[in-house]
Amino acid sequence: MSHPGPRDSGLQPERTLLAWQRTVIVFVAVALLYLRDPFEDPAVGGGVDPLYRLAAVLAVVAAVGVLIAHLRRRWRATAHGLHDDATGNPPAPVARPWALVLLSAATAALALVVAAGALLG
Amino acid sequence: MAGRPTTEGARDIADHTRHADRGPDPGGPPGSEPDYRFTLANERTFLAWIRTALALIAGAVAVLHLVPLDWHTGAKLAVGFSLTGLAVVITVYAPLRWIRVQKAMRRDQPLPMSALPVITAVGVALVCAVVLFGNYWS
Repeated sequence: MSHPGPRDSGLQPERTLLAWQRTVIVFVAVALLYLRDPFEDPAVGGGVDPLYRLAAVLAVVAAVGVLIAHLRRRWRATAHGLHDDATGNPPAPVARPWALVLLSAATAALALVVAAGALLG
Repeated sequence: MAGRPTTEGARDIADHTRHADRGPDPGGPPGSEPDYRFTLANERTFLAWIRTALALIAGAVAVLHLVPLDWHTGAKLAVGFSLTGLAVVITVYAPLRWIRVQKAMRRDQPLPMSALPVITAVGVALVCAVVLFGNYWS
């Protein structure tokens, strides 16, 4: 092993990172799903102008971009989950509290965009 | 899993002073930093809730925007809005629950009960009922 320090026998930091990645992938997938044109004419599918939809989705996905950058930075700073920056212990959460709140807010915003799109369309 | 460092107590104290720059510490000063594995497990639980919310949103997108359903508009909107509403409730509740659990762990208290599983289960059951209804009311 090239990294010094104790390795977590349950690989908890790694599992947490994977959980983050799964969540981010699902998020982007749902956003793309919303972006996709309705199968039939817009009158059936509740079609808002695709440009508005694109703008809304880009705004929401931008928040996730910030999260990805934060996760990568922190994962590197902890030497891939082996030790924390300052103490040399295994790290506490992969992300900081604001990241959790940002993810929640972005998900709620996506839900509201989906609902509003159906009302306006 | 079994092997915990013997210097845990000393490390906890050291953690406490050195992590002062971590920004807003969930749970606040009282109590001590919980085992990091539990902190990470709490975070994964939060992420699982967010994925649940995203799955509900995906269902709402399918009903409201994607699948050309032969439903009455009322049934369609009812299903779509219930799903998105449920997702919003979860996204509001999930971080609150994460902080509460973190607090309880710091203070060595029993974990708080959460209404979220019940809300989700009942909500999804209701949506299923309306979907059945929507199939016959066109």
